[in-house]
This record gives sequence, C-alpha cells and structure tokens, in this order.
Amino acid sequence: MEWYWALATLIGMVVFFMAMGIPVAFTFILTNIIGVLIFYGDPSGWIQIADNSTQLITRFTLGPVPMFIMMGALFFHTGLAIRVFDGLDVIFGRLPGRLCFLTVAGGSVFSTLTGSSMANTAMLGALMVPEMQKRGYNRQMSMGPILGTGGLAMIIPPSALGVLLASVANIDVGKLLIAGFIPGFVLAGLYCVMIFIQLRMYPGSAPAYDVEMPGWAERVKIVFVNIFPMGIIVFMVIGFIIFGWATPTEAAAFGVFGVVIVAALFRVLTFTAVKTAVEATVKVGAMVFFIIMSSTVFSQLLAFSGASAGLLKWAVSFDVSKYWFLLMMFFILIALGMFMDATSMMLITVPIFFPLAQQLGFDLIWFGLFVLMTFEMAGTTPPFGLLLYVMLGVAPKGTTLFQVAKAAFPFLVCDAILILLMVAFPAIALWLPSHM
Amino acid sequence: MNFVAQVYNKILFGMAALSGVVIFAAFLMIVTEVLSRFTPMDPLIWVLTSVEYILLWYTMLAAPYLVRIKGHVFVDAVTQFLPAHVKYVTAKIVYILCIICCVIYFTQCWSLFSEAFVTGELDTRSFEAPVWILLLPMPLCFGMCAIEFLRYLIGVDDMYSQDLLERENV
Repeated sequence: MEWYWALATLIGMVVFFMAMGIPVAFTFILTNIIGVLIFYGDPSGWIQIADNSTQLITRFTLGPVPMFIMMGALFFHTGLAIRVFDGLDVIFGRLPGRLCFLTVAGGSVFSTLTGSSMANTAMLGALMVPEMQKRGYNRQMSMGPILGTGGLAMIIPPSALGVLLASVANIDVGKLLIAGFIPGFVLAGLYCVMIFIQLRMYPGSAPAYDVEMPGWAERVKIVFVNIFPMGIIVFMVIGFIIFGWATPTEAAAFGVFGVVIVAALFRVLTFTAVKTAVEATVKVGAMVFFIIMSSTVFSQLLAFSGASAGLLKWAVSFDVSKYWFLLMMFFILIALGMFMDATSMMLITVPIFFPLAQQLGFDLIWFGLFVLMTFEMAGTTPPFGLLLYVMLGVAPKGTTLFQVAKAAFPFLVCDAILILLMVAFPAIALWLPSHM
Repeated sequence: MNFVAQVYNKILFGMAALSGVVIFAAFLMIVTEVLSRFTPMDPLIWVLTSVEYILLWYTMLAAPYLVRIKGHVFVDAVTQFLPAHVKYVTAKIVYILCIICCVIYFTQCWSLFSEAFVTGELDTRSFEAPVWILLLPMPLCFGMCAIEFLRYLIGVDDMYSQDLLERENV
C-alpha cells in the first residue's frame, strides 16, 4: 500500500471512530486492532499490541501526571486556592479593571499549582464572573481574561499535558516543563497589556469601584501568610527540576507533599479533601493513561505501514522554508482542536509531527512548547473548544457561545503573538532548559 | 442474580478504590525514597520499579469503573447533531465495537498472562519480578470493561448522558 493510503487509512479510522462517539481510548484500541489486520495481514499480531500496551505507561517519567493532578486537586479541595486569591486581592488596591488583573495573576498562580486548564477555567469562572457581573463589568471583560488565563496551565509548569507530550514524543520531560516557565509568564504579561488596551478603548467595560483596603502591615501579613507558602511549593516542583536535585516525578511527589504540609499547617487537611483529591487523580489520570496506552502501537503502525517515512520523505522534498511547515502544522492542530481534546490530538499528530520537526531542524523542546501553545489556543477555538464550553457552563444564564468565543478572541491574539515571539527569539523557551 | 450483581459491583468499586490506594502509595514511596537519600539508610532502589508497576495497575484497575461512571472522554461534535433514533442506533453500534475491542484484548492479555505465569518469566528492572504480576490486572480490566459496555448495550443507561463539567471531573 502507498504511504498516503496507509496514512489516510489509519488517521481516517481514528477520525471516523471518534466521530461515531467511541471513547477516545477505545478508538485507538480499535484502530490498532484493525490496523494490525490490514498491515500485518493476520490476527497473530494482536498479541503484540496487547504486550506493547504496557510499554509506555510503565515508565517512571510518566509519574508526574498523577502527582500533578493530585497536587492540583488537593490545592482546590483544601481551600488553599481561595487563600491565594485573597492574598492577591489585597495587592491590587483600587486599580481600574482590578478583577481582570486579579484573574490573570490568580490564574497564573493556579496554573503553576494545578496544571489543569479545565479546573482553572471552571474555578476562575465560578469565582470571578459573578463578582465581575456584580461590579458592572461587561461580558467581554469578565470572561475573556478567564479563558486566556485558564489555558496558561498547559504551558506553565507543572503541566500534566506537558509530561504526557514529552513522554509520547520521547523528549526530556524536565526540559519541556521548564521551557514553559518564561513563555508562560510572558503570556500572562501580554494578557495584562491586552486588558489595559481594552480598558483604554472601552473604559466603561470594567468600572473602577471603591475597595476597603487593610493597612500596609495587614496587607504584608496577608500576602506573606497566603502566598509565600505556595511559593515554596512552586520552588519544590520547579526549582528541584531546574537545579537537578530531583527527577520530574520526584519533584511532582514533593509538590504533593508540600501541599499536604501547607494544608496541615493551615488546619485544612481533612480526610474528605484527601479522598476527593485521590478520587480526582483516579478519574482524570487513569483515563488519560488508558488513552496513551495505545500510542506506542499506533506509532508503530504508522512506521510499519510506511506512512511516517513516506510523509517525511514527501514533506522534505519541497524546497520551502521550514516555517511554512510550522504554519501548516499549526493550522492542522487548530483544526483538530475544534473537534477533539488535547490528548487525542497528541496521539494522532505526535508520531508524524515530531519526526518531521526534527528533520526540518527544529529543536524538539522548542517544538514541544509550540505544540502545547497551539493546544492551548485550540481549546478556546470555536465551535468545539472545550474551555469555551467549560466557561459557558459557569457563565451567567443567557450567555451564548458566540459571546464566550468573542471574549476569548483578544487573548487568542496574545497567544499568537507569543508564538511569533518564540519563532523570532527561540531563547524565550530554550534559555532556561539550556541551564539544566 | 441480584447477589451476583452486588458482588460484581463491589469488585468494580473495590478495584477503583485500590487504584486510588496504589497511586497514593506511589506518592508516599517516592517521597520516602528521596528523603532516605539524606539518611544513612540503604537506597530504596525498589521504588522506581514499583512505581512503574503501580502506574499500570492504577490505570487498569480504574478503567472499568471509568466506563461505569462515564468517565472515558469521547467526542460528541458529530453525534450531538444526529436525530434521536440515529443517535440511539449509533450508540448501540459503539457499545458493540467497544465490546469487541475488549474481548479481543481480554483474550490476548489472558494468553500473555497465563504464559508468563506458567513459564515463570521474570521482568528485570531495578529488581526481578515475575512478569505475570505486571500483566495480572490487564485481562481483569478488559474483561470487566466488556461487561460494562454490555450493560449499556442491553440496559437502559446511556454512556453519553453526562454534563461536560462532570465528564471532565471539574
């Protein structure tokens, strides 16, 4: 079979089965089963796909995924997240549009501590939108910053999706996680600039209001008590990796340990909170692992059928700039993201895009971050971006998907600007990992 | 019949609880292993391999429970626009295809497990362990997933009836 037919068959099966509504994990299992029949010619290869299924998910490098989920869930369920918000709240004073800036600052901290875009968007939406509505903010200003900031969790370490991507693409987990640190905070800065511009253009969209502020001493105390301990947890996760004191899995476990200690010190560590956090770890982590279990076999099928090699050979035969390929991959990911979640996109595209990116001379850590950025954008792209629906679920009654998507648009522009900055100055992403 | 269902449910939820227990144990083991480096204790070299085994057990033990609670992510971008009767038939086809997948994987995993059990094959990582320990949860997982999809196929419950936030565990 020609490579393009092989590629169309495998990708076509995945897309068709997903469109039918087969759960993503079972879509890949079914595709692998049929793929073996087509390309190996007999069902004796099935035993090999069952055997190979254990390969990827028995890697120690995947350990951070459940640990980050547990850490984020503990952070939410113990109420520590709200304390951080209270701490940040006293910093902003009577700034116009303060709730928007508070969202970006709080969301960035949440992203650092939770690594979950969905949870971030849901929590910020539930917490901030009613308050913003009460203060007379319009829908654009109340939902936009939340949608933008919610997605930050995909790139700011610790990112569970980053660990998955690095494991599936076989690149250094620690380096990819750390690579997202500077771009993540540059992006948060771009969001603040965007909010400032929107406020200048439409001053009535986020009216200033009087806030009763505590004295300076009280403010310092609140910030120290509510934010400083979280800073230590962040250091335990990111610092340990950067300084090479621990592997990402160990650093992630210490992140959980840090949250447990801080929660105990605040006397908010309850059996219910731990149980709920472990339950969330089982529901989310095991579901994702069950999906990626099939990724090794899917990559092997793409390789065995000649699809990967054929596509690579075909792609590099064109005498065009590598950035055209980058643009093409960007649009493919955005298009896929309109219909499917990031893990599914990852499984379909990683076996094709990463070898291509390597062949074209892109640094794979940089490219990994580019892919994560694109996943983030895809999550807020209509008509099916998942974060849009999460926002719609917590937005006031009567909000339409169009209004949510319109609010997200300026922040998608910020994402695009960051990608352009990363293309022009790759060091934004690569400087920190180069010191590891 | 009721008794069998009750026992089965206890196994299903017990496996999910065990999945939570093993992943929490992995967290404790990793922290202990790192802290032990700063003590005169011998290094706990068994932790790395144990965590690798746990990751597989954690995934496999939870999978049937996730089918039960509609926790496996799916794409409804197309099916949501289908007329009710077409949607119903499509869902039934989906359940049948999932059952076929699970049965095929069950048979393959069972033969891998039984062969490893009979031959006593060892997995050599940071310590040697029988391969069958690693493979044990796999036939169990796929066998029970098949039963769960069968529940949807012959029962009245619908795998797709869940709100997005609930589905994403938010």
